[in-house]
This record gives sequence, structure tokens and C-alpha cells, in this order.
Amino acid sequence: MIQLKNVSKIYGKKDTTFTALDTVNVEIPDGASAAIVGKSGSGKSTMMHVMSGLDRVSSGQVIVDGQNLADLKHKAIDNFRVEKVGFIFQSFFVQANESCFYNVSLPLEIKGLSGAERKKRVTEALETVELGDKISQKAKNLSGGQKQRLAIARAIVNDPRIIFADEPTGNLDTTTGDLIEDLLFKLNKDSGSTLVIVTHDGELADKCDMQIHIKDGKIEKITDKSTSKLQSKKGAAK
Amino acid sequence: MKSFDIARRAGRSLKNAKIRTLLTSLAIAVGAFTLTLSLAAGEGARQYADSIIQSNIDPQSVFVVKDGSLVGDGGGAFGGGGGLQEYDAGAASFSGGTFQTLSEKDLNTLNKIDNVEKILPTYLVQAEFIKFAGVDQKYSTDVTVYDESVLAEEAAGKLPPLGEQIETGTVVVPEAFANTLEIKPSELIGKKVTLQLQRQAQVPDESAVQDALLEGGQAAVEKLFAGETRQVDFTVSAVTADSPTSLSASSALFISAVDAKEQSEWQTKDTDNFQRYLSVAVIAKDGVEPVKIKDAIQNQTGLTARTAQDLQGVIFDFVNFIQSIVIGFAIVALIASAFGIINTQYISVLERTREIGLMKALGMRRLHVSLMFLLEAAWIGFLGGVLGALAAWGLGSLLNPWIVDQLNLGDQSLLIFQIVPIALLILGLMLLAMLAGLFPALKAAKLDPIEALRTE
Repeated sequence: MIQLKNVSKIYGKKDTTFTALDTVNVEIPDGASAAIVGKSGSGKSTMMHVMSGLDRVSSGQVIVDGQNLADLKHKAIDNFRVEKVGFIFQSFFVQANESCFYNVSLPLEIKGLSGAERKKRVTEALETVELGDKISQKAKNLSGGQKQRLAIARAIVNDPRIIFADEPTGNLDTTTGDLIEDLLFKLNKDSGSTLVIVTHDGELADKCDMQIHIKDGKIEKITDKSTSKLQSKKGAAK
Repeated sequence: MKSFDIARRAGRSLKNAKIRTLLTSLAIAVGAFTLTLSLAAGEGARQYADSIIQSNIDPQSVFVVKDGSLVGDGGGAFGGGGGLQEYDAGAASFSGGTFQTLSEKDLNTLNKIDNVEKILPTYLVQAEFIKFAGVDQKYSTDVTVYDESVLAEEAAGKLPPLGEQIETGTVVVPEAFANTLEIKPSELIGKKVTLQLQRQAQVPDESAVQDALLEGGQAAVEKLFAGETRQVDFTVSAVTADSPTSLSASSALFISAVDAKEQSEWQTKDTDNFQRYLSVAVIAKDGVEPVKIKDAIQNQTGLTARTAQDLQGVIFDFVNFIQSIVIGFAIVALIASAFGIINTQYISVLERTREIGLMKALGMRRLHVSLMFLLEAAWIGFLGGVLGALAAWGLGSLLNPWIVDQLNLGDQSLLIFQIVPIALLILGLMLLAMLAGLFPALKAAKLDPIEALRTE
């Protein structure tokens, strides 16, 4: 479960401060898919950053799996991201000159897994996103959709508890985007991991279990599509 | 993250920028090339000096002189400074310089030192000319005592075994003589060779001059001042082969110690130089460290002594000095190349901001990020070092025969490449490259992943 308790994030100092998040309270249950919706500059990306441990809050608590990220030291936060988090970005951020294999194996190398274990997991992850045949191809030779699928493979290879997707379909055409969306939701259901999508695409947000609407750093509203469905899913995951 | 995986990622990212990597490492290669060559040349020069000393000096011998200036101790007769030199009754004049010499008494003292096998004083024999039987020309040459402690190679005839003198009345000549005479070395064996020796007349006193004038007129007086000459016949018993490392064996006529003593004493009779020796070789008994004899001589007699190793040290000092100048230039080149690495790596960090951001977002630790860039720099250093060393080795191997031929070094090669110093050199260059890569690596480690990932 991800909990934000009275979280504020203020950038800058003294005269030139900017409040990106203003006393935010949110709760995302385990295994749910949540969309953070808002306009550009509303603070949705910042919310994702504090949830994922990329950024620190100015005040308040970020509790993930019972642990307050604000209490953790730098190294422990790095470890938290290695162990529990997967990232998917709008512009893919794949390493163009590396092969698909090495793109996907990066999180496992950072974790310090052995070569044999890495090979097994990378192959599995690439097969899950249907890129098994591209394993030794360089990432720059892939199409946009394939790149995003590669990024998804990289995000899931470490079997994370939470996957953060920042505008995952923003750089893709509608057809390809739909395929990526389907893949993300399928993985969310199959693995029982929590999916947090940052988007301004209302259609994509509607496909999620809950929508967190944010405006000027404040929560505008939280809509929960089906509480009963969520609970039944939680039961199935356990 | 494991260092091995970091190193592999660093290697791959360099491979993806082949041209840039190569160009950066070329700067290092220039320094490595110079350093490798100077290391090889220094080693070659040292080994050459070593072989010269070994084929000319018995390692068991200790070179003893009275006058320290002969072996570079303080200012001597030839030394700088000039000015007046104090008169010394024990000093004698040689070749225009005045040196303190060893007397028979000194020789006796040296003989009594423990563990001394024998002593070999230097007898100076100056021949006006030498003449081979059946050859009209007269030749001038140095005359040296046959050195029984070093065995030369024979071109003809037979040399005595190591440690034994040649027979009295015989001489050994170098192959070069046969070349001059345009005959085969074997034809010299058994040939008669005549040495003309001269001794200076004693300055006659007034009454002697008057007596001579009365008895034989002007001619008798001139004769009185002219000195005396005599001719001594020897037989050639052996011819030594040309050797690029043996100095005396290729230029001087060798006579036996007994003959040398006799002729030298005849030449110096009634002069200050009679039975006085510039130097003495003291041979240590087998198994006795020559340095112990040296210390005993210096402590007990106050004479100056040098071992073969000391003489080697003098040559080595010179080689080392020349070598350090070359190395200095190479280091300047390396400092310049270090700035090349700083520049390249800094630009690389800027170019790869997103990649670094991604790695940090995925939880890669700062230490590992900076290590990755440091290892990239180390790879560049390694590549440059290997390229430079290989180029030096290749070029050196190609040029070695030519250099040896030009300098007439014989079997020696001037450039000697050794694997250990080259390996250490490459390792050093990797460290230098890492030092240069430190600033860009820290810059990479400090990048904020959020900022980095925002870069479009």
C-alpha cells in the first residue's frame, strides 16, 4: 500500500518558492491500478517522484509497505527503488546502443544478481513483452512501440511491487498505445503488483481502478471505479 | 552492482564511441610510446655496460689507487678548479698529470690483507713503435699486461686457461692487427714482433756535461741528453677475436706480467716513477665478497678502492640520468593527454545525462556511477598504454638490428623490452587516466535523476 500523509513539496528558497504538492493525502491499495490525472504543471509528476523515492518530501509522510520513505537514508532509498519499483517513461529512456538483453539486465546488474540468474529473468521478461526474438538486437533498431515494450520488460524484470508509468503512451500512436496499455493492465492483473500511471489522457485514466485528480498541487478529487472489484482482486492476489 | 558488470558496461560504452575513444587514447599512446622506448633503451644500455664490464673486469677484483681523483674522488690533477697543487714526494707524473702513486710498500700491505688471492699492479710500458718481422712498416700501439682474469675469444693460436698468465717472451695481439697487416690471424702465430722502448735520460750534472764535452765533443753531449732506447723481441702466441664489448682486447698488444714488470722498470729506472704504480688490481679469493676486501683496504691502508660493481654504478648513474630526461619529456606528454581525457569524459557525461539519470532512478548508487566513468577512463588509459607499448615494441624490433649495426654493439641489442616494466607502465597509465577521469565521474555521480530524466 502506498500512503501519502499531509505531503507537501516546495521547490526553491525564501522568495522564489513554488509549492508543487500542498498537504496531499492519498492511499493506493496493493495490486490496484491508479491514474494520477492533471494538467501540465499540476504536480502529478512530483507526486509520482515522491511516491517512488526519486524525490524527497518537504513535509509529511510517504509510507510504502509500512515504511516511511522520508526516514530512509540515501542508500536505503536507492535500495528501495532497486527492490520494489519499476519505471516506465514517456520517452522510453532505453539505452540505444545497448542490446535488448543489456537494457533489460541493467536493474538486475544493479541488484547484483549472478549472470545465470540474469539471463533467465531477462529472457522471461522479454518473452512476456513479446520481444524474445530481439534479445541481441540493439535498442536503437526497434520501433517506438517495441522500445516501450522493452522499457516495460526492464520495469518488470526485477518483479517489483509497484510500477510507475509516466505518460507511457504519450509518444506512441493510438493503435500502438492501446497495445501498450493492454500489456500494462495485463501485467498488473497477472503479477498483483501495483500500477501507478501519470497521464493527462482521460481515456487511459478511465481504464484504471482509481483516478487521483490533481490541480495546482492539491487533490481535486479521487474517484474509485469499483471498491468491491478491488477488494475481490486483493483477495485473489493473496 | 558488481565491479565486473560496471567494467563491462564501461567497456561497451567506449566501444560505441570507437573513434572518440581511439583519438583520446592516442594522446596517451604517444607518452606510452616514449616511455616504453626509453625504458627499453635504458635497460639495453645497462645490459651493454654490464657486458662490457664483465668482459673487461674480473668481478672478484678490487681496483686500488692512491689518488682518489683517478676514480672520481675529489679534485685531482686533471680535476677542475686548477690552482696550485701541494708538492708531494710520493707523487709521480703520468701523461702530463701528476698523481699520487702506490709504492712497493703499499703493495706489501695489500698482500697482507686477509682473503686476498693476489695483487696485480699496473705496469706501464710505453713502446715507441712495434715492428713485425717481415713487415717494413713500424706501428704504434698500446702495450698492456695480459689480463688473466678475463678470457677472450681466440681467432688463432692458444690462450692460457683463465687465471694463468701467458708465457714470458710471448705476446697476444688483437685480430685488428692482422687486418691492418692484411694477413690471416693464423699467419701471425709464431711471428716475431719487436718493441722499441725508450727511457728518458737523467738530467746530467754540470761535471758530467763537461766530461762528455771533453771526451766526445758536441755529439757526446747530445747523446747524454737524448736518453736511451732498446729493442726487445717477442713471439706472437695467440690472436684474440674482435669483440664489440671487450675494449682492450681489440686495440692493445698484450705482454706477460713478468715482461711488463721488467720493461717498465727498465723504462723508469732512476726516475720518480720507478716501482710506483698508478693502480693495483687486488683479486679477492673465490667466495669472498670483493666489497669486503674493498672495505678492508680502505680501513687498513687509507688507499682508495673500487669494486667492479662500483665502476658499473658510475656508468649506470650516467645511463639513468639520460633516461630520466627522456622520461621527463614523456611525462609532460602524459600530462597533456590527461587533459584530453578530462575533456572527453566531461563531454561524455553531458551527452549521457539521460542514461545516467535512468541508472540512478533504477537505484544505481553514486559510487557505482562514478566508478563506471572512472573505469571508462581506465580503459582509455589501458588502450593508450597498450597501443603505445606495442608501437614502441614493433618499431624497436624493426630498428634494433640497424641500431646495433650502426653502433657496432655485436650480440647486444640496444633496445631491450621487458614485460614487467611495460605492464607496470600500462597499469600506471590506467591510474593516471582514472585520476583524470575523477572530475567528470564526480560530476556524473552528482547528477539529480529527476533533472536528468527531464532532459529531452
